[in-house]
Amino acid sequence: MDFFQEEEEEEHPEQKGCCAFLTIKYYQPYFNVSEDDVIDRVKASFLPFRKDFHERVAGNPDLWGPLWISATIIFLITAVANINQMNLEGQTTYSVAYVPQSAALLYCISFGTPVILTLVMKILGSDIRFFHTLCLYGYSMSILMPITILCVIRNSILQWCLVGYGMISSSSFLIMGMRKILGDLEQSKRYIIIGIVLAMQFSLYLLYKLVFFKVIEKNSTE
Amino acid sequence: MDYTNQKHPQNYSQMEDLKTLDLEESVSETIMRDLRMIAYKLKYVLIPKEQEDNGKELRNWDLWGPLIFCLALAMTLSFKADSTTTSSKSDVFAIIFVLIWVGAFVVTLNAQLLGGKVSFFQSVCLLGYCVFPINIEAIIIAFIGSYLPFVVKLIPVIICFAWSAYSSVGFMASLVPPHKKKLAVYPVFLFYLFLSWFSLIV
Repeated sequence: MDFFQEEEEEEHPEQKGCCAFLTIKYYQPYFNVSEDDVIDRVKASFLPFRKDFHERVAGNPDLWGPLWISATIIFLITAVANINQMNLEGQTTYSVAYVPQSAALLYCISFGTPVILTLVMKILGSDIRFFHTLCLYGYSMSILMPITILCVIRNSILQWCLVGYGMISSSSFLIMGMRKILGDLEQSKRYIIIGIVLAMQFSLYLLYKLVFFKVIEKNSTE
Repeated sequence: MDYTNQKHPQNYSQMEDLKTLDLEESVSETIMRDLRMIAYKLKYVLIPKEQEDNGKELRNWDLWGPLIFCLALAMTLSFKADSTTTSSKSDVFAIIFVLIWVGAFVVTLNAQLLGGKVSFFQSVCLLGYCVFPINIEAIIIAFIGSYLPFVVKLIPVIICFAWSAYSSVGFMASLVPPHKKKLAVYPVFLFYLFLSWFSLIV
């Protein structure tokens, strides 16, 4: 965990030690937000080209948002996908498998991608802050909340449009958030990082649409 | 003999006496004593008027109650799984079981990370006991749900969800500093909402 500890140790003395990341105290500094802060940050993440989010998060990245935004989205996906499974006669067969599937998808992307990015960036010699990236990724998921609610409408074209908008919005949010770090890199290396970010977002949204929202046409029998 | 008020043994021979007492009594007595303890705690947790000492009774946490309610809920929901879901009975059972325990674990961890000084198992115990109203609604819907329209099914679901949430929110909110209260309470709502959703549709 040395990769992740360097810059943080000067600010947070409780994070020293080889296995400090296994204690609760290690993560407590990242839960130092109030409910208003979280709401402001979520609102700011809907507008990728404004600097609001970065100003608010500057010295105080939080982990509450990433953790519970993803949990809320898991619930919303399960509920909305189940509602979508209702066919027109009112007879319903639901699937509960959406819970582990959506949990795996969301948490792998929102926690796994920052790990990959941090490792790659450290190898490329950039000065990336792990928890800051984790916070950024967690809040980039928040656009999925209104998208999932709107996917109640069973129209294939609308759902694809929503998914496309979500992908563009969250990718721009992430790249704007990492602009300063990317600016320090060389041109060619920048594209590697942007490529990784875009690839992960693309796979997230594609899987999201294909696994949870297969639209059943009105005349099909199932 | 009321086990919950037993004084701690002062020396080894008293401890031996207690052990032989336990071993000598019949199995039904032991089980009834544990069941009475669970019923007592359940009343304490779910009926607000009983909590005059601000939650001190919860220090005698136990996980039997939560386990019984978790198993009951998982079994009730998997009972009708073949007809209402495309997943198998064992899938539904497993998902509900894991959801309850992992959910209680994460909600408690969240409260601790926000600065709450609470014993881990005390909080899991409380969250487990508050699953009982969800159990009631799951049983109601499992038996008479197919005869009721969707809107009527919502009524017991909403009442039981509100009852669960209200019972546990007071405890959770008291653990953390005032400006973080909603951050500690929202996961509790999400947890019971998730369980209520499953008891509604399965």
